[in-house]
Amino acid sequence: MSDYLFVQSQDPFTDARASHQYDLAARLADSGNQVRVLLVQNGVAPARKGAACPAFDALLGSTVKVLADDVALRQREFAPEHLRDGVQAAELGVVVDAMLAGHKVIWN
Amino acid sequence: MNNNSINNSMTKTLTFAFMDPPFEHERTITFFRLLDSALEKNANVRVFAYEGAVALAFARQQPHGNAVHSRDTEAEKHPLTKDWIAALQSKAKDKGLAFEWINCGLCVDERGVNEAIDGCARGGPADFWRYASTAHNTLTIGTR
Amino acid sequence: MKVLQVIDQAFRTTGEEQDDTILWLTQCMRSAGANLEVLLTGHGVFYSVQSRPQPPLKFGNWQQTEPADITQDIGRLREKGVPVYAVREELIERGLFGLPVQLGVEVISRDAVTQLYENADQIWHW
Repeated sequence: MSDYLFVQSQDPFTDARASHQYDLAARLADSGNQVRVLLVQNGVAPARKGAACPAFDALLGSTVKVLADDVALRQREFAPEHLRDGVQAAELGVVVDAMLAGHKVIWN
Repeated sequence: MNNNSINNSMTKTLTFAFMDPPFEHERTITFFRLLDSALEKNANVRVFAYEGAVALAFARQQPHGNAVHSRDTEAEKHPLTKDWIAALQSKAKDKGLAFEWINCGLCVDERGVNEAIDGCARGGPADFWRYASTAHNTLTIGTR
Repeated sequence: MKVLQVIDQAFRTTGEEQDDTILWLTQCMRSAGANLEVLLTGHGVFYSVQSRPQPPLKFGNWQQTEPADITQDIGRLREKGVPVYAVREELIERGLFGLPVQLGVEVISRDAVTQLYENADQIWHW
């Protein structure tokens, strides 16, 4: 079993691939791996309360831990109360931490 | 070597591959933030710049003013990616870390961006494999 | 170290570069001794069912004479022992399932992709 961190820049409103990418993350988690997704750039869009995105709902319903880049949130003026339950703001440095820990780090 | 140097056999090296040219996508910002973070966390950094990313280190980038912003060149202080690279090189040096940058040579030739700032070398895919296979970990950031 | 190269785009560079630049990079790294596998997913599955070179470009009196030949590029990867996989569901979604798949390309299910990820030491998504 492995640790995965997906750096998720693609979002389902713009990129049809994003829903498949969420699905793969969930499948890897279902297989017993530790999987995190860090939303960056417009990838944070579905993380806002009120955003309508069934694929993201499914991701939040899985065992994948979902993080969101705090700078991307600030750029888009997402205050903490705007974040959906289950999404945690994080520093981009978690990517470097994961790389240094030898995790499989993948950019979407 | 200064008192802050920690570049020893315990220092890990991270490799990044990037493809975007300057001024076109938010990915470029995230990429540079990652490089800065890697240095901040005391990792050696290697970059393989592929395709459009070979223009990031182009020495002839020039700032400009912006009439819409009502700012002349000096006031606008327009960012240039070559300056970001130089700043990261400097940060690495101060921390006793390595910061290596290779531009894919064929990508450089076809784009005509042959003048890179100091510290950015010319290479190819074999160098990327060398960088990656001898690093602790590698992150590739594709373009779209 | 075994690396899985994930390609989910197609035709982005085939006109100007006369190849897919990630398939090209993969061929070069393989020649340098890299242990690589290629996963064609998303629009990348188009590459698994290509059968002829790209149509040459023409602008004014400029005529392309060496258009990309993805079939040849994938063939070269296979000759060098690089496994190449294409995702069945992506072929189906694009109406491509049932077309002849290039010799040596293995069609796998989306379920099997997780095993490829597990078996690789690193995954490079381009």
